[in-house]
Amino acid sequence: MPEIILKDVTKKFGEVFAVKNLNLTIEDRDFVTLLGPSGCGKTTTLRMISGLETPTEGEISIDGKIVFSSEQQINLPPDKRNIGLLFQNYALWPHMTVYQNIAFGLENLKWKKEEIQNRVQQMGELVKISELMERYPAELSGGQQQRVAIARTLAPNPKVLLMDEPLSNLDAKLRMEMRVELKRLHVEIKSTFVYVTHDQLEAMTLATKICLINEGVLNQYDTPLLIYDDPVNRFVGDFIGNPSMNFLEMKIEKINEDSCSLKNDEMNFKMNFRAKSGEYTNGQEVYLGIRPEDIQLTESDKNTSTIYSALPSGMETIVKVKLKDVILSVVAFGRVDFPVDTKIGLAFNTSNYHVFNKETSQKIATGDLEMF
Amino acid sequence: MTKIFNKTRIFFQKPENVILIVLLIILIYLTIIPLFSIAGDTFTVHSSEARRIRGSEVGDLTLYHWNYVFLSRASENLFYKPLFNTILVSLSTCAFALIVGGLFAWLITRTNLRFKKVISTLMLFPYIMPSWTLAMAWLNFFKNSNIGGAPGLFTAITGIPTPNWFAFGFFPIVIVLGLHYAPFAYILIGGILRNMDANLEEAAVILKTSRFKIIRKITIPIVMPAVLSTFLLVFSSSMSAFAVPAFLGAPVRFQVLTTQMFRTLNGVNPGVGYIIASLMIIIGTLILTINQIIIGKRKGFTTVTGKSSNISLVNLGKVRTVVSSVLLFILIAISVLPLLTFTLQSFLVEPGNYSLDNYSTIFWTGEGSPDIASGEPGILKNKYVYKGLTNSFMLSLAVAFIAGTVGILVGYAVAKNRGKRSSNFLDRLAFFPYLIPSMAFGAIYLSMFSVQRGIIPSLYGTFAILILVGSVKYLPFASRAGINAILQLGKEIEEAAVIFGVGWWKRMVRIIIPIQKPTFISGYLLPFISSMRELSLYILLVTPSTSILTTMLFQYNEKGWDQYANAIVLLIILIVLTFNFIINKVTGASIDKGIGG
Repeated sequence: MPEIILKDVTKKFGEVFAVKNLNLTIEDRDFVTLLGPSGCGKTTTLRMISGLETPTEGEISIDGKIVFSSEQQINLPPDKRNIGLLFQNYALWPHMTVYQNIAFGLENLKWKKEEIQNRVQQMGELVKISELMERYPAELSGGQQQRVAIARTLAPNPKVLLMDEPLSNLDAKLRMEMRVELKRLHVEIKSTFVYVTHDQLEAMTLATKICLINEGVLNQYDTPLLIYDDPVNRFVGDFIGNPSMNFLEMKIEKINEDSCSLKNDEMNFKMNFRAKSGEYTNGQEVYLGIRPEDIQLTESDKNTSTIYSALPSGMETIVKVKLKDVILSVVAFGRVDFPVDTKIGLAFNTSNYHVFNKETSQKIATGDLEMF
Repeated sequence: MTKIFNKTRIFFQKPENVILIVLLIILIYLTIIPLFSIAGDTFTVHSSEARRIRGSEVGDLTLYHWNYVFLSRASENLFYKPLFNTILVSLSTCAFALIVGGLFAWLITRTNLRFKKVISTLMLFPYIMPSWTLAMAWLNFFKNSNIGGAPGLFTAITGIPTPNWFAFGFFPIVIVLGLHYAPFAYILIGGILRNMDANLEEAAVILKTSRFKIIRKITIPIVMPAVLSTFLLVFSSSMSAFAVPAFLGAPVRFQVLTTQMFRTLNGVNPGVGYIIASLMIIIGTLILTINQIIIGKRKGFTTVTGKSSNISLVNLGKVRTVVSSVLLFILIAISVLPLLTFTLQSFLVEPGNYSLDNYSTIFWTGEGSPDIASGEPGILKNKYVYKGLTNSFMLSLAVAFIAGTVGILVGYAVAKNRGKRSSNFLDRLAFFPYLIPSMAFGAIYLSMFSVQRGIIPSLYGTFAILILVGSVKYLPFASRAGINAILQLGKEIEEAAVIFGVGWWKRMVRIIIPIQKPTFISGYLLPFISSMRELSLYILLVTPSTSILTTMLFQYNEKGWDQYANAIVLLIILIVLTFNFIINKVTGASIDKGIGG
């Protein structure tokens, strides 16, 4: 059962922390994405799992076997870890044909010639490149190179497949196609996938679990929908979702057991708690986080605001509205459009509104809103 | 008729077209026509040959030279043996340079060697210094008294006389040229290794490939084009080297093609020299054309660049410190010791006598006495040395100014007319002088301009011919820089100014040149340094009144006035290093980066 466990893994480059005290358990047959802005340490994490990078401290085990431990002085080289690694730039060897690229790893494992032939054939069919076997990488399109790289990585049948932004060099349409293929592949070959990306949409659509990293620190590790619906701090709420969450600066007042009021110069809400996760005091400064789809556009004259701009894309329309002096993002579903500068009412009818501590950015509470 | 006239008028309204046509005409005159001239000279009776070719008069057509070079009884010693020597020297130099340079490149980029920074800086030293400095240093150390003259430092210290094969001829020539070009191999191979996507090797590591197999199956095949290209460049450079074989080979009459060319052109049989020059031009052009094709193919080898992160380095383990120290020691010996010997030698009154009372500054500041070197004053008091120094400076400044400026214009005309046949032709034409061995290039100018040509009077013996030959020879450096700079800039930057009606001159001076200043500056400075240390290009064309530092060095050395020669070497090295340092600081360019097409 290839389970990957990272315990207190830290990586320092000079004095800079690339990864700080990372604890992570990736279970068998998970499809985990390491997500975060560029430079957050996600690629470093992946390379530490692969063995290409050596952690400064901590312990990593794969499939019950410790592959790295700073305490026990264990550091298995990459080839002893039974992993596959897919590079962002594919790293196909330019002087070898597609066939030679795929067969190379099998030759190292001293497979028999017919076995290699069969396996390469099989891989070619799996990623649909059978007719390209005699070509050189330079003669392939980006998408084809990508497929060859996948075939090369999968050929030795690694128990764990590590991928470093494998789709970022493809165009939008191809990327969509490859996502579909990857998700199918994950089910077909029954391995554990660890996937690095900075694209939150990619992470959401592919993963069984997302590991969100910021500045070397793990922020949240949950299923995509939980991360979306229940962000633990402001960073997570902000990073996930497009268009991003609206944040309103407020003061918390009149605290009761199950409700409070949120106020600023222009607005005044009452929040009924659905869940509470932190301490707060009267008069404390907070952010109220509202997802764009949790605001409804209405015909009523409640919360009348002005259409600042509307961006229809067919399936949905992203609307920027101006409520008093604040600009909010709203998503209106369906084939609708709104002329600029017309008046429209707003409603807050769901119960997915979050309050974040302004100082620590941790989430304090979730609940529904009533407007005064 | 008016239609054609109008078309022509519109064509010439664009400044890039005017520049293109003017440059094409000038460069054809300065690079293509001379080839015909030199070819003609191989069939002509020259004034010094009238007596040896019976019944001929100066200017007659003759096959005598060709016959003499290839089919006569003298051919063996005149041509075939030097040709064989040249090929042997060049091949051995290539092997030596590639092994040393490649090994250093691999150690620096792929292992945990110590002192990497110092080593990679020192490594460039032998290349920045003119090749003949190491040859002089070799003589200072290892010459013996078999040939006449004083023994070198090695014999003086150890008492062991060096054998002839070690002191002169093939062996030291290969060592010196090899050391001179090893940095070149180091730069090219190291560059590829450094830029080569580390992922390519990591991908193999993940697929359980052994260290050795990675080098054999991945690394070497990928650096192969660079190795091949280095091989060809080093081969053609060592083939055209003159000073090193002249210094080290002459004492034992070890002749190569360049020394033969110099002897015959300067002696009684210029026709033979022109034939050798022509052959070298053909070989040189051929080799470097092959190289261009290889480089062109290499494009197919570049892969999508990703984050080439720090590759895991080979751990040298126990030998790490030992290997690092030995390498450092060798490099210091190669780069610093020569300078010490030059200094030492220039203070010795009697060469070969290293006792303390034999030191004196007479060769630096002496007034000159009749019993030493025909009364030649010390080099700081010597008006000829000052004249040579001034000449060298003036020449290099003029060459740099012309080559640099024309280089920018070539860059502009080529980049703006990109894709047109005329633009490709100009590009090739401006690069052509690079393909021709220096001394052969001097020879074709000797042939072209030693007589009156139309309105151009005979230029032989004038300063103008030196400036001309230098400017054309170093144009490739400047035009490469110019073309890259303007291509990189893109059309839009200039078009934005055209929209506002800004004139061409102002566009150049206010927009294009300021933006790409560093590149253009290196287009001026590289020709300057190269010209400053050049010997073989100018040596056929200088006369006593136009002599420059390097040719004076050559003459002092021929006369056996070691102290003067060493003092001048020191002077030239000082100038070259100072300017290379300045360039490096100002623009980040360096002579070691400008070469290699």
